[in-house]
Amino acid sequence: MANSNGWGDGAGNNAIGWGQAANNAISWGKSQIDSWAGLTDITGIPSTDSDAQAFITAAGITDATQQSAINTLVIDLKGYSIWTKIKALYPFVGGTSSTHKWNLKDPRDLDAAYRLVFNGGWTHSSGGALPNGTNGYADTKLVASGTLSLNSTSFSVYSRTNTDLLAPSIGNVTGGASSEASLFLRYSNTSYVRVNGGTASTQANSDSRGLFIANRASSSQILYQIRGTQYTLSNTSNSLSTNSFQLGGVNPNFFDNKQLAFAFIGDGLTSQNMTDLNTAVVAFETALSRNV
Amino acid sequence: MIQVGLLTLSQKEELTGQLYDCDSYFNPIQDINDNWIISVEEIEQNENQLLAWVKDLPLIPFEPKPSPEPIF
Repeated sequence: MANSNGWGDGAGNNAIGWGQAANNAISWGKSQIDSWAGLTDITGIPSTDSDAQAFITAAGITDATQQSAINTLVIDLKGYSIWTKIKALYPFVGGTSSTHKWNLKDPRDLDAAYRLVFNGGWTHSSGGALPNGTNGYADTKLVASGTLSLNSTSFSVYSRTNTDLLAPSIGNVTGGASSEASLFLRYSNTSYVRVNGGTASTQANSDSRGLFIANRASSSQILYQIRGTQYTLSNTSNSLSTNSFQLGGVNPNFFDNKQLAFAFIGDGLTSQNMTDLNTAVVAFETALSRNV
Repeated sequence: MIQVGLLTLSQKEELTGQLYDCDSYFNPIQDINDNWIISVEEIEQNENQLLAWVKDLPLIPFEPKPSPEPIF
């Protein structure tokens, strides 16, 4: 008898069988060895990427939607050939400082793994990590000098807040230092970007929400992407900072108030990488119901 | 108006380098009048029982120092 689902006494051609059928595609029979197919052959339940699983375990992420979103993000970044270019990536899932601190690329609880150290006032929620604009910042412990290359550096944040404020959402030094890397998303309706150089390049911008990517791919240009739109900005590189990158401001002079739902620091990206990164991050934020 | 907790110099010294939850450090800064202050988030989220006194800090309006020049 050819049951499609068999609770019976062992029909011969069950598609799914709880008996000791001979030809179960998926079987709960005596043992997996005796079955025609193993439990892992169930379709529709993708396996978890090992890097995603390491992060999920370290951060203690138990929510299935969040686990799936992390897994898809990692798979997407690997598929787009971006994964190997990333030094630190903060997906801000789980809703607490204890889950938001982890670097997806190296989820060890160490400064050397660029695990975040939160300082000052922050509010953590399912939407991400919100610095208070007064004294909050997070230290990545990632120093550009010795880690990144002068003409191959990128960094990015996904902001869920639209405010016009004189503060960087990510940066390693301020004041126009020759080694500055910083991203002021919106100040006087202008976005300011520096990548290993003393001079800021600007781009008109009246909305500080979405994914911003700063990318130095040569000694004379910065590729800057705001919500998927790319701009090529003339800008000369100078040197790499010996200060660590900070998120949510640069202590002690500039403190931002934009909620972060993603951040990364890495090597230089291609133009296509930047487009693909926006696609992957928007999909990630959408999966978590926090895309803006 | 943003409110912040006002610290004495000795209180600032006591908080520096201390955790207020398992993964977050106090960050005392100076306002425009050189008062040492911490944020209400640090006060409200403090889980460090040895520093429970922060909940009794007087609150004052936050007046930030002007940003140092040059900026851009």
